[in-house]
Amino acid sequence: MSAILDIRDLRVTLRRGGHLVRDVSLSVNAGEVHGLVGESGAGKTMIARAVLGILPDAVKVSGGKIGFRGDDLLQLAPKRFRALLGREIALIPQDPLTGLNPARRISAQMTDMLRHHLGQSRQEARANALRLLQEVQIRDAGQVLDRYPHELSGGMRQRVLIAIAFSAEPSLIVADEPTTALDVTVQKQILRLIRQMQERHGTAVLFVTHDLGVVAKVCHQVTVLHTGQVVEQGGIAEIMSTGAAPFTRALMGATPRYDQPADALHPVPAHIHRELLAAARRFDEANP
Amino acid sequence: MTGPLLQVRDLTLSLPDRSRGKLFAKPPMTDILRGISLDLPRGESLGIVGESGSGKTSLGRTLVRLYQPTSGQILFDGADITTLDEGAMRTHRKHMQMIFQDPQSSLNPRRRVGEIVAQPVLALGVERDRRAALKRADLALDRAGLGHAFARRYPHELSGGQRQRVGIARAIATEPRLIVADEIVSGLDVSTQAQILALLNDLKQDMGLSLIFISHDLSVVRVLADRVMVMLGGRVVEEGTSADVFQGPRHAYTRQLIDAVPLPVIEPGWLDTKPATEGTRMVDIKGQTVLVTGTSRGIGRVFVDALLAAGAARVYAATRDGSGSHSDARVVAVKLDVTNSADISTAAQTCADTTVLINNAGINFNSKLLETDQVDAAAAEITTNYLGTLNMCRAFAPVIEGNGGGAIVNMASILARVNLPLMGSLCASKAAVYSMTQGIRAELASKGIAVFAVLPGAVDTDMTKDFPPPKAAPADIVAEVLAGIQAGEADIYAGDMAKGVSGGLAADRPAVIAEMAGYV
Repeated sequence: MSAILDIRDLRVTLRRGGHLVRDVSLSVNAGEVHGLVGESGAGKTMIARAVLGILPDAVKVSGGKIGFRGDDLLQLAPKRFRALLGREIALIPQDPLTGLNPARRISAQMTDMLRHHLGQSRQEARANALRLLQEVQIRDAGQVLDRYPHELSGGMRQRVLIAIAFSAEPSLIVADEPTTALDVTVQKQILRLIRQMQERHGTAVLFVTHDLGVVAKVCHQVTVLHTGQVVEQGGIAEIMSTGAAPFTRALMGATPRYDQPADALHPVPAHIHRELLAAARRFDEANP
Repeated sequence: MTGPLLQVRDLTLSLPDRSRGKLFAKPPMTDILRGISLDLPRGESLGIVGESGSGKTSLGRTLVRLYQPTSGQILFDGADITTLDEGAMRTHRKHMQMIFQDPQSSLNPRRRVGEIVAQPVLALGVERDRRAALKRADLALDRAGLGHAFARRYPHELSGGQRQRVGIARAIATEPRLIVADEIVSGLDVSTQAQILALLNDLKQDMGLSLIFISHDLSVVRVLADRVMVMLGGRVVEEGTSADVFQGPRHAYTRQLIDAVPLPVIEPGWLDTKPATEGTRMVDIKGQTVLVTGTSRGIGRVFVDALLAAGAARVYAATRDGSGSHSDARVVAVKLDVTNSADISTAAQTCADTTVLINNAGINFNSKLLETDQVDAAAAEITTNYLGTLNMCRAFAPVIEGNGGGAIVNMASILARVNLPLMGSLCASKAAVYSMTQGIRAELASKGIAVFAVLPGAVDTDMTKDFPPPKAAPADIVAEVLAGIQAGEADIYAGDMAKGVSGGLAADRPAVIAEMAGYV
């Protein structure tokens, strides 16, 4: 099986010097959800932003390649790259409110993509938007099309964004902490929806999260990052097993669980915590 | 002093809802907290969990009197602080401190950390001398694991975890007896979060603190809380020791919350278990007290047995004359004619532990809309089917709400969505039931009551003996209704005919209406 996304030896550095992402390689196949896990400063969001071509100004890619269906995204002419975004590579953002334009109706935001990227007529685009909202299990889809974002609940907004992400049948979706802002019962529905949609459309998903619980429930493959480097990579069963890398196990031990008493919780060892703080500080510089 | 540090009785809070109401007019009041009672023993910790809008944050703020409660009583250290003004509260403030979610926005960016931590020490008169206050701040910073060297720094120089430690240092600097911590680890990484939780646990032990720990995250609450309260719609739906609530939740909503937490373990099929439809909660029949109207025959009678099989704790089987007996001791016969308001108010008192109401009673004259009868069929159908159901909802919504929430199930009909010309007045009454059900669903959602509309097709009972087949067996309809309730489906289309009509209406509404008109 050939990979949809194939990142090789990616390096991201601060322009004034200092590594943020060091020699990271990973690949995501069609129909696969690949989890990118780590604490803040691990480099997971930087990698996702490098794929989407939206790195902050203080940061540059200083080495490696980002292979996407045979092309290297880093070498692509800006015009061709923009043509891919939205159409071949789509994003499900973290915050469902900022992901939508507050001043425009849902219908306008959904049909933009369909009309401009896929050249559909107004009527076609509206019919397809309606079908997409039904596919993400929104009841009264026709009414929702005519609403503004603030009139919808957080879960509904995230469903709309998922519908938009899948609207052009992209081969890769980058999901950046897509459920962090949601209530836990809504989170479960959204995770389920992402998996259903991804399976139905055979989409490759790069799933960025800090939550090992979410990883265990939605990912097939996992890359664990620490201070910009890969500490472990493999199938979900390996990562969740007791044979996982010491760093992964330390994170697991520091994750509280409602089914375990308080003394089962172990804060990460001091040296790991110092490294985490140093890495987080470097990232603060990247996002002033 | 012995006795609980904090005693709260029947606390309610109503605030103006600015999202509703007209411009320049006084906004309508909305109930945020509804009758909260709790005891917090000295040195113990109480976790408060709930989703957004549950009232958990408002409760925390009301307990430390940042909000003035609308009614009820708060005793802190034996003193009634419910209505004290800010001046009188000052003597208590140093003993009760609050830590907020976002340390970034609650720390003054222009002040050094030492001054920030010393601020409440001076303001609340714990120390009068600035030097002495800064000394206390140093001690608090040491206790919070930062070290007093941090006193010289500014908030922007700190990481998120360090800022939260400053928030903790500020809260403990006045040597309080109670700390209310609201979502204080939710923005933090796992590694930092574990350290903050460990720190709070140590402080609780060393300083003998009582702690109220508010969070949406059940796992985090488990780490710190001796006891847990689960909130929904401004009420407590379940309360108990952490171990009991998390290992053996009794309330359906608690179970639903727990089921939704993704644990870091591989569990194939987890995503597909019990999907809750947005807007309507799933309701587990197990352990519920259910009142069913119209149980003398037909679907009502079948409901009783199906509810028992699904694990209902008690079933009130209502009939017009109160007759009927059942071999199962959980069944209680109730005399209830839904057109009789005296019957309804008596039932609301005798069946006061009801958590699920199934409005099944209905009549059916099969008469045309323009035909007049000796007894006006249209008026009778509206009185029983519509007004009877509405009055039951009115009487039992407060009962169910008072029992911590539950469900109301209204039996409408697929004829609520399409009119059969030969029985137009029945259809109109069912349409009224369906419309009313949608209305109360919105009103009752915040009260922890899930409202279901059932739209079955033709069912094979003695009331429909004149109907042509196909007719569904009552047992199949009832099974589908209970499955729909437990899956949280707001509108339950029971039976193939109902699903067919509903699908047809969505695909080609005029064609379905034309087909129905063809029955003339």
